[in-house]
Amino acid sequence: MKADWHVHSCLSPCASLDMSPDRIAREAAARGLDMVALTDHNSARNAPAFAACCRRHGVLPLFGLEAVTSEECHVLALFDNLAAAAEMDAWVSAALPPVPLDAERFGDQPVVDEHGVILEQIEILLLSATGRSLEETGRRTRELGGLFIPSHIDRPSFSIESQIGFLPPGPYDALEVSPAHAGAYRTRYPDHPVIVSSDAHVPEAIGSAFFDLAADGPAVSELRAALRQRRLRIHT
Amino acid sequence: MKASDVATLDGVETVQPDYENRDILAGYASDLLSDVMAHAPEGCLLITIQAHGNTVSVASLAGAAGVMICNRRPIPDDMIAAARAERLPLFRTARNQFEMSCLLGGLLSARE
Repeated sequence: MKADWHVHSCLSPCASLDMSPDRIAREAAARGLDMVALTDHNSARNAPAFAACCRRHGVLPLFGLEAVTSEECHVLALFDNLAAAAEMDAWVSAALPPVPLDAERFGDQPVVDEHGVILEQIEILLLSATGRSLEETGRRTRELGGLFIPSHIDRPSFSIESQIGFLPPGPYDALEVSPAHAGAYRTRYPDHPVIVSSDAHVPEAIGSAFFDLAADGPAVSELRAALRQRRLRIHT
Repeated sequence: MKASDVATLDGVETVQPDYENRDILAGYASDLLSDVMAHAPEGCLLITIQAHGNTVSVASLAGAAGVMICNRRPIPDDMIAAARAERLPLFRTARNQFEMSCLLGGLLSARE
């Protein structure tokens, strides 16, 4: 299956307001993606709408978020069911500092329904680092049955390499890197599967990087097994 | 001292020259933006290696009077554009955070 596991909806303040869950699912289907993960910063509140939209457009969803750890590393926590994503959301939300959203400076944070109708605006800035460390976030993700994947680890900001300087031991299901560095990082970290995804913040970017995963189904257990056995191929 | 005085220091490059020339009241050296947001004092020069657009947003929110990027890190265009939009001075130096902090600290105490 063609998979893009890193896409932001309009809920992320830095993403385009055109990134409604419906638009994401529609664009993903049009581009031939089989599976897309919704990964807003520190929030999974648009996941229920995304579930409905993916059903409508025939795309397999993963529900998750891109957590910002206390070290300011971005990490993906991905789930195959809404209940686990909601639990992760609550755990992350509880550790967000109460910095009010300055929408002019950072952008809006609307929670929307499957038709793109705004249900509420999250008033706490979602871009802040949580009080949860990388180690705690990994542990919690796995306790809730999710895939734990550090984001864009080769980037000079908000990545494990930029914030910590090396890859500490952890329950990583894969490492996400920029497409240009995929080969080099497979060599650097032979013990971990390396994936690429779009990190789309605008509709045009959805599927701009993806990977092919030969998994037997969309359950996290199947996805994890396919990753471990390196049944994957990267496209850029 | 003013932001424009920082611009004249030896080995300091002005990356974004269209700025409001505010008083530099203090320095704050940190590479964790959450820490900057929580603790940087109003009117400080933020001394950091975090060369990206979010640093400008956080510095502005904290009321910083300028940003100094250390170790001559490359500065992306979106960071320069964000600083211009905020009229925030953006400087760069080959010094590290400690060296730049010492230099600024010396200048600030000499003026007290």
